[in-house]
Amino acid sequence: MIFTIIQISLRRLLHNRIELLLTFVVPIAFFSVFAVIFGNGIGSGTTPKIKVVVVDEAETSESESLAASLRDSAGLRFMDSGADSGGESGEESSAALHGTLSREQASDLVRHGNVTIGIVLRPAEDGVGADLLADASDQVAGQVVAALVGRELAIARTKSLAAARVASHRTPAGIGSQAPAQTSSLRKPPGTGAVPNSPPADSASFVKLSQGTAMARGADVPQDGSEILSPAIQIVDVIGEGKTNPVVSMYAAGIAVMFLLFGATGGGGALLEERENTTLDRLLSTRLTMDQLLLGKWFYLTGLGFFQVCVMFLWGQFVFGVDLLGHLDGFVMMTLVTSSAAAAFGLLLATLCKTRGQLNGLSVILVLTMSALGGSMVPRYVMSERMQELGLWTFNAWALDGYNKVFWRDMPVETLWPQLAVLMAAGVTFLLVARALAVRWEFD
Amino acid sequence: MIRSDIFALQIANLRKRYRRLDALRGVDFALSEGERLAFLGPNGAGKTTLIRCLAGRTRPTEGQILVFGHPINAPGVRQSLGLVPQELALYDDLTTRENLRAFGKFHGIGRRELRDQVEWALEWTGLRDRADDLLGGFSGGMKRRVNLACGVLHQPRIILLDEPTVGVDPQSRQRIFAMLDELNDRGASILLTTHHLDEAQQRSDRIVIMDQGRVIADGTIEDLVRQTVGKSRMIKMRVDRPLESPLVFHGDGEHVAPRSVGVAGQDTFETRIDDVTVSLGRLIQSVRHSGYSVSDMEVQSPSLHHVFLHLTGHELRD
Repeated sequence: MIFTIIQISLRRLLHNRIELLLTFVVPIAFFSVFAVIFGNGIGSGTTPKIKVVVVDEAETSESESLAASLRDSAGLRFMDSGADSGGESGEESSAALHGTLSREQASDLVRHGNVTIGIVLRPAEDGVGADLLADASDQVAGQVVAALVGRELAIARTKSLAAARVASHRTPAGIGSQAPAQTSSLRKPPGTGAVPNSPPADSASFVKLSQGTAMARGADVPQDGSEILSPAIQIVDVIGEGKTNPVVSMYAAGIAVMFLLFGATGGGGALLEERENTTLDRLLSTRLTMDQLLLGKWFYLTGLGFFQVCVMFLWGQFVFGVDLLGHLDGFVMMTLVTSSAAAAFGLLLATLCKTRGQLNGLSVILVLTMSALGGSMVPRYVMSERMQELGLWTFNAWALDGYNKVFWRDMPVETLWPQLAVLMAAGVTFLLVARALAVRWEFD
Repeated sequence: MIRSDIFALQIANLRKRYRRLDALRGVDFALSEGERLAFLGPNGAGKTTLIRCLAGRTRPTEGQILVFGHPINAPGVRQSLGLVPQELALYDDLTTRENLRAFGKFHGIGRRELRDQVEWALEWTGLRDRADDLLGGFSGGMKRRVNLACGVLHQPRIILLDEPTVGVDPQSRQRIFAMLDELNDRGASILLTTHHLDEAQQRSDRIVIMDQGRVIADGTIEDLVRQTVGKSRMIKMRVDRPLESPLVFHGDGEHVAPRSVGVAGQDTFETRIDDVTVSLGRLIQSVRHSGYSVSDMEVQSPSLHHVFLHLTGHELRD
């Protein structure tokens, strides 16, 4: 009997392609997506570089040399070319191109998302210090750049101290007294991680900075939101300062968009249900037309999705302090357009499938894949550049970029036009394709 | 009351061809105003395709459909038709009243009229006390009644019913036909497809028999009997012991070759005779001459079942 149960279950599984797909293909697909995002998969060749600009307020030879060393760093991308700096902040881009950026302009570039970190080299008591103007939504970039700048500062400082020592040893008594280990370490090129074996006591803090995030943990956090890693390096959060729990809004958007898509595909499934139990046939034998039916369902799903996201953000406002009321205009625009595009996507999938079971399988695969690639599950900045570009083919990436502009960057609603345009165009396309596919249901 | 001078529906040379299948091969018939017409046919005969063509859900490949003299696709003509599908095409997660309202709106009934029609439908179906209950908890018979009501809420002059009593108990079936009679009394013409011969025989004024996409007989039950089985009768006979071999029967007349009757090893057999007054005596004689005696005998009057069998050569359930 037990064997028969096993046999029947196995046969049923073999006869059900969707279940087979969900059992064997979907886990592999997801494993592959996450492996590509985090692991050593096909995306590893294009490790994400952190977009930075440098502002040289110190204007010393040491700061110039430091800036040049940072340019050689493999982990950083200097946004000083017209193509790289994007089109949203023309003046800042031009200034970056000509190397005449001010601290405020760099701060604006960070705020608009054109660069992730603005490195401001400022004069300090013992040479050059750095303020890192950071976008705290990217919690990795600040620490990585701090470590890189710290290392370069340490090397530059050590070099200058060593040079001073060599100069003093060039006196007749001092010639030839330098230790061989010290000479060899100084001959190493910058960027190879070389740190003198016996750094001078006053450069010890810089050497510690090169240990990266370990430094950040021990950092003092002043009340203005800036993070002091050492007297020489300070991370200044140019976006999140003064906000109450701002990162939550980004997670809320990520989850909201994913569930919008699930909700819309589920709602679209009602159409297939009606078709399967012949209610659709009956409806179309009345005065109702297919156009009216699809539009009715689209409006309903859009409204439901809008309400769903509103409820979620209201919960976020009351429980987690998301500033919904302060961003109402941008929120309403983004949510309305995102919901309408998600509704059209749901209808498209429904009209594409033959059965509800088929739709369930397809929607799980598509929505989860889009959510993974589009940043609903993990932030896109941790992905390789290739994966980030691939993410732009997903619905989620554009929606999340829009919410990001509204809640994180406090950008005016006019700047939402690329996201709104893409989502609207996608929505209209989905709806038109769904209508074309539904023709087959109108008549035998 | 049937008005045979007014045709509610006229169908001429209706054909429907799917890729390799001719579902309808030139169907012709007419339905008079106030008439109750039953469509009989085995599965695959083309009944549902015909109903779908009439309801506008299938485009005929060829042919003409006139509703009260107007082409079916002319504006407003379809409003004269009410479709009651075979399946329970309703929303289980809505109440009776909500279902009725929804379908009433889809049929274009105005708000005030809709309220009256919903009240009428609740009364008509006998479901007033369940008006605000979800349909999901209803019995099959109750759902059938709501299914019927949703199709006639807009008071159509022609009602198309595809197997309206499939899967319901005899009591519910009676109730549904009583409801249909009420609509018919109000002047509605009714066209229904059914598998139940007794339903067709008792509940229709005229019967159309379809097979393989064609109309093979059309008329009242008397017409059909006369046209097909005529005066012949089915004789069911039991003899005193099992037959050793089939009997040879010479009773059909001098010019007709003798035929064998019954099966070896069985004591009961059935056969058709053309003229009771002559052939029945000959059949009994044949039995006695073969050394058997008749234990029991039944003479069956011709029914729709015999007509159907005669026309199609197989039982309706086939």
